[in-house]
Amino acid sequence: MSEFSTFLQLTLRSLETGSVYALMALSIIIIFRTSLTLHFAQGTMAMFCTFCIAFLVNSYNLPLWLALVCGIIIAAIMATLVDFLVIRRTNAASVDGRKIITLGLIMVFIGLAPMIFGSNVQNLPRFIPRGDLSIAGASISYNAILNIASGLALMGVLFFILQYTKFGLAIRATASNEVTARLMGVQTKLVTLVAWIVAGILGVVAGVMIAPATTVNVGLMAPIQLAALLACVLGGFQTFYGPVIGAYIIGMLPNYLSYYGSSVWSIQIMYLLILLFLLIRPNGIIGKKFIKKV
Amino acid sequence: MSLEPQPLFLRIYRNHHLRYIVFGLIFASLPYLSNWGFIRVSLLTTVASIIIYAIAALGLNLLLGYSGLVSLGTAGFMGLGAYIGGYLINEWSASVWIAILVALLIPTLVGILVGLVSLRIAGIYLAIATLCVSEILLKTFAELESFTGGMRGLTIRFPVILGVQMNRELMFMFVVIALIIMMMLTHNLVSGQFGRAMHAMRGSESAARAMGINLFKYRLIVFAISTAYAGLAGMLYVLYIRSSYPTTWDIMLSLNLVAIIIIGGLRSIYGTVIGAFVVFGMSDLVLRRLPIIGDMAGIPYVITGVLIVVMILFYPNGIRYIPQDIKKLIRKITKRGVQNV
Repeated sequence: MSEFSTFLQLTLRSLETGSVYALMALSIIIIFRTSLTLHFAQGTMAMFCTFCIAFLVNSYNLPLWLALVCGIIIAAIMATLVDFLVIRRTNAASVDGRKIITLGLIMVFIGLAPMIFGSNVQNLPRFIPRGDLSIAGASISYNAILNIASGLALMGVLFFILQYTKFGLAIRATASNEVTARLMGVQTKLVTLVAWIVAGILGVVAGVMIAPATTVNVGLMAPIQLAALLACVLGGFQTFYGPVIGAYIIGMLPNYLSYYGSSVWSIQIMYLLILLFLLIRPNGIIGKKFIKKV
Repeated sequence: MSLEPQPLFLRIYRNHHLRYIVFGLIFASLPYLSNWGFIRVSLLTTVASIIIYAIAALGLNLLLGYSGLVSLGTAGFMGLGAYIGGYLINEWSASVWIAILVALLIPTLVGILVGLVSLRIAGIYLAIATLCVSEILLKTFAELESFTGGMRGLTIRFPVILGVQMNRELMFMFVVIALIIMMMLTHNLVSGQFGRAMHAMRGSESAARAMGINLFKYRLIVFAISTAYAGLAGMLYVLYIRSSYPTTWDIMLSLNLVAIIIIGGLRSIYGTVIGAFVVFGMSDLVLRRLPIIGDMAGIPYVITGVLIVVMILFYPNGIRYIPQDIKKLIRKITKRGVQNV
């Protein structure tokens, strides 16, 4: 295998993980920007929905696409419930409280999953079971191409809505200042609700993408949640696209590091690199300064 | 205020440190009760581990209660303390005191490094950074077999402390004494200059800054203190339980420790211990004994998680303040009764 095709192989493989990370990072940043909550339970809720899908496929023999539709509906219902029952009841002052509430939600869903779906791990099939495409000596499965493409398409649609539609403007207004947005007639509660639903759907899509590579268990999304949070740190919390860029970087770096450097310590080296980068640019790649108003 | 000397029992009642000692004596009586057959030996182990978790939660309570920062790496730091202490006792046959000192110092140093990087920017970065560190530590515990024993775990024997060969009962006493010392220490810490600075920060960060309090410095100090508590708790864990496995130190333990504080009461020393009994005692002492519910694997997590959410939404003070609130309620009702007459 030539040097170039190895590089291409690494890049293609990284793009798939990058897309999963990017979807999760986007879901976290959407919630963070609109309802000022760092949503630590995003990964756990996505894991729960993925478990639902695997359960439907394995126990009721539903086709995967139908199970995915069900999973998306469940994710939307869960997000709505969380927004109505919990997030709306916390007043604007207790940002710390909301952060801790999402920690409580992690425990709820990690506890619920084995109670409902049993303690056995489940498997989720790929959308396209087999077939590889080879480009210049590098090969990539059709399923990975589908994942990369659908991830990019989903994000493209979201960014188009954010940038060019009226509702996107409402989201951006809420993200920039909720009180002012409400005074200007933006229905901020609706915006927040939609943000939670969109985030839930992004999470379940990310879960379905990554699940065939491993098994569906309670720890399925934990590393992805961590990578997505780091992507938000790396890309900065002040824009919607910063974390997405950060996510692709975090998806790619370990693969290059493990090939060209050490395979055992690649993840740890990446964490160190991110830390060093933050020492130089504390607010991330696209970061603007956190401004605290008195 | 009268200057007359108070009766002795009142003086004891009002002296905080004596109260902590009396509180400890209650725990210290448990081994005798188990010797006389009133309680089972397994209960002793449960109570000891609850006390150990309470010590870690005391440190976390300083961090969360006074600065509003969350650390998701408490379990990782506890594990670090446990493995370092166990390793020193096993391989270097170090004395317990040196092992405790090192098990305190190294997690604290790691904590300071993490704090130095993450606290410079904004509060939320600490939660992410500690989550990251705890993942790295967990991976290291599982993979660095020469140091931690990997998934087979690390086991030690009861050590000799002050020339006395420890056994289960004596070790329990040791853990209780550690709890009492840590409670007193925490009490002194929050009553002194440091505590006043932390109180000021909690009221208004900007006002505290205007009064010349260096936010970054105090946040770093309080985070370092909380990791030191975690290191000590980990060390005590390995001394009492005599084994340590990587799976013990996962994120769920860190979340349980946060739950202790939310349920017990922010900034409350007794509340932390009560919260520890609610969170860890619930599953071991109550739920496992119940039919049907006892067999469900995830039920303690669900209940603890729901409790966190419910407490924050409806009773953010924590159960520590239930007696005060009941008193207030009674006073309100009786007052209304008087007015109606």
